[in-house]
Amino acid sequence: MSSIAADFPATRWTDQAMQSRLRRRYRSESLFKFLGFAAVGISLSFLVFLLGTMIWKGIGGLTLDFLRNSDSTDAATAGVWGALKGSFLAILVTMALAFPVGVLSAIYLEEYAPRNRWTDLIEVSINNLAAVPSIIFGLLGLAVFLNTMNLPRSAPLVGGLTLALMTMPVIVIAGRNAITSVPPSIREAALGVGASKMQVIFHHVLPLALPGILTGTIIGMARALGETAPLLMIGMRAFIAVPPSGITDPASVLPVQIFLWSDEVDRAFIEKTSAAIIVLLVFMLMMNALAIYLRNRFEQRW
Amino acid sequence: MSAGLTSLIVLLIAAAVGWMAYRHAAHLRTGGRLHSLPTYHGVHAALWVLAPALLVLAAWAPMQSRLIDQAVLATPEGEALPQFEMQRQAILDEARQIAHREIEAGFNPESTTIAPRITEAEGRYGSIGAIGAILVALGSAGIILLRRRDREFRARTAVERWMNGLLLVASLIAIFTTLGIVLSLLFESLRFFKLVPLTDFLFGLSWSPQTAIRADQAGSSGAFGSIPLFWGTVFIGAIIAMIVAIPLGLMSAIYLTQYAAPKVRSVVKPLLEILAGVPTVVYGYFAALTLAPAVRDLGIALGVSSASSESALAAGLVMGVMIIPFVSSMADDSIAAVPQAMRDGSLALGATRSETIRKVLLPAALPGVVGGVLLAVSRAIGETMIVVMAAGLSANLSANPFASVTTVTVQIVQLLTGDQEFDSAKTLAAFALGLVLFLITLALNLIALTVVRRYREAYE
Repeated sequence: MSSIAADFPATRWTDQAMQSRLRRRYRSESLFKFLGFAAVGISLSFLVFLLGTMIWKGIGGLTLDFLRNSDSTDAATAGVWGALKGSFLAILVTMALAFPVGVLSAIYLEEYAPRNRWTDLIEVSINNLAAVPSIIFGLLGLAVFLNTMNLPRSAPLVGGLTLALMTMPVIVIAGRNAITSVPPSIREAALGVGASKMQVIFHHVLPLALPGILTGTIIGMARALGETAPLLMIGMRAFIAVPPSGITDPASVLPVQIFLWSDEVDRAFIEKTSAAIIVLLVFMLMMNALAIYLRNRFEQRW
Repeated sequence: MSAGLTSLIVLLIAAAVGWMAYRHAAHLRTGGRLHSLPTYHGVHAALWVLAPALLVLAAWAPMQSRLIDQAVLATPEGEALPQFEMQRQAILDEARQIAHREIEAGFNPESTTIAPRITEAEGRYGSIGAIGAILVALGSAGIILLRRRDREFRARTAVERWMNGLLLVASLIAIFTTLGIVLSLLFESLRFFKLVPLTDFLFGLSWSPQTAIRADQAGSSGAFGSIPLFWGTVFIGAIIAMIVAIPLGLMSAIYLTQYAAPKVRSVVKPLLEILAGVPTVVYGYFAALTLAPAVRDLGIALGVSSASSESALAAGLVMGVMIIPFVSSMADDSIAAVPQAMRDGSLALGATRSETIRKVLLPAALPGVVGGVLLAVSRAIGETMIVVMAAGLSANLSANPFASVTTVTVQIVQLLTGDQEFDSAKTLAAFALGLVLFLITLALNLIALTVVRRYREAYE
């Protein structure tokens, strides 16, 4: 006891020492709060600065012709239509592959998988795949789809396949969260009236989990839409002046188009690049808004 | 016959058999209760027609391409091709593209004469595969239709067994992807290490992959020492970016969870997440266009003569900003996981809020935060577009933030998107770099995921 008294001689609130110590503590309190506020402020102002720069530089280039034309060596006639179509086709392939596989995989892991070493291995590899650098998927696509399977270079098919491998783990993780959040009482009620396990899942659990799964899927698709590095690896950086008419035609995608234009020496391409960035950001914002809408509109809390 | 048309025919046969099985079951149902609904009878029959035929098609495809190559090489035009394996393969690849009308003319004149032979052989072996698949479909259809099912037949159980298999296969795709990554990287890397010794690659201090075409040219050997690349990667991704992202991300998380009003939080948090959603190519362009010149001018103003417009600082700063929301949401989660009682106890003892945060919440949440930072580092060192567009190409071992350094991902892109000489050490080096990058991020991810999981369990 005595040692504590020795350490803290001033124990009365009115003491000078106590008062100054309190002031110091309150000062550090408000300094800390201000630092937190500043951190948020700096991050947000960077966002504003980034978006502002792009809009300021690119809004002038956003004409109807820009949306209708395809790539060209002449900055005056270059447009994004070809790249937009390529992006659309690639995303379509990605969705057609990643969504069913991701959902089925999530169902298996949540509802069927026995707890053993194999399931752990699947789980670890899904969690790890979600964090593998995207360029590694590009190397995989180059080695497997192009060099081994001889699929056409620069095609949305290969781009979509590569992006699907990348997006699938995201959908699995979102799907598992959505499926776990469906309360067991729903399953028990369905089992109680004689449904088989498969019927319980496909007639009851899956429809209830679908909004959550779709939200995760759209976010994954938005990320795939903005992805550049893996597509560079599989040769989607060729100069393509004709919009692709199918998934095996040579094509470019919007982010790669932005990258290619950013390398041009001609100053006129700065406006084109910024305008293409605006188009890309608008599409991503629309997808994210759709995801948020779905979440707010359909997600139930039990 | 194309594979698409064949699959369509097989599908039609399966649908017809399924329909017949459905009708049969519906007819049985009029006589009494069935074990399974007629739909399951139909689906079961269709599956048994579909699966074997598609299996035949899938198995035929790789066999077919080998047979086509053999057949083409056996023709007089094929025998005239150069015997050198690699060159012959290149001509065949080109001829295949001409035959598919993907390109007009090849680099090698032989490919144009070979192309019609390829078309012929593809037509021949394609129809063999198609007819085989259709015969298998018809055969299984016959077997199914002959074995009329009775009322007790458990079609639903059988269909569900199929579905079970499908679910298992879907979840195995993740493992196959991982395996595919490891094997393809390993395979190409091993070929690289035959040309360049592993120790030179891992411990060499100089990187200049420009191998000359003729052996007597200067600098013909090329140097593949990866240390400068990994230094550049760590310098940009793990040092500069983290100096930006950790304080800003952590303080943002603290402010938003502990101080901000719920209404502010519900607006600001999604806004911060936008930072994570902006495509990296946009960050890269922004860094190259706006930040890099500013950083160079700053460097010159500070008297750094080597200030480059492709500085490590510009790339690292922008990468740090990209990582902020990532660090922030991981920190957010781990602070939220600290039990309320610890926070209440500290406040009740008279600690101010900031003292509670610094001395109670953060130490308790530290494992989670560290895990999140590790994941952020793993993401930063694998990031490609920002460094490709804003960092340089010259492999310097320099700790000067205004100097230009290069990273592993920049070099992978550089090695694989230039004019590729097939099978050169230069191309294969990209896969070796990819393998090391994959192993490093794998280790970081595994450590981080384990740390985060242990931490979550500790407070549950």
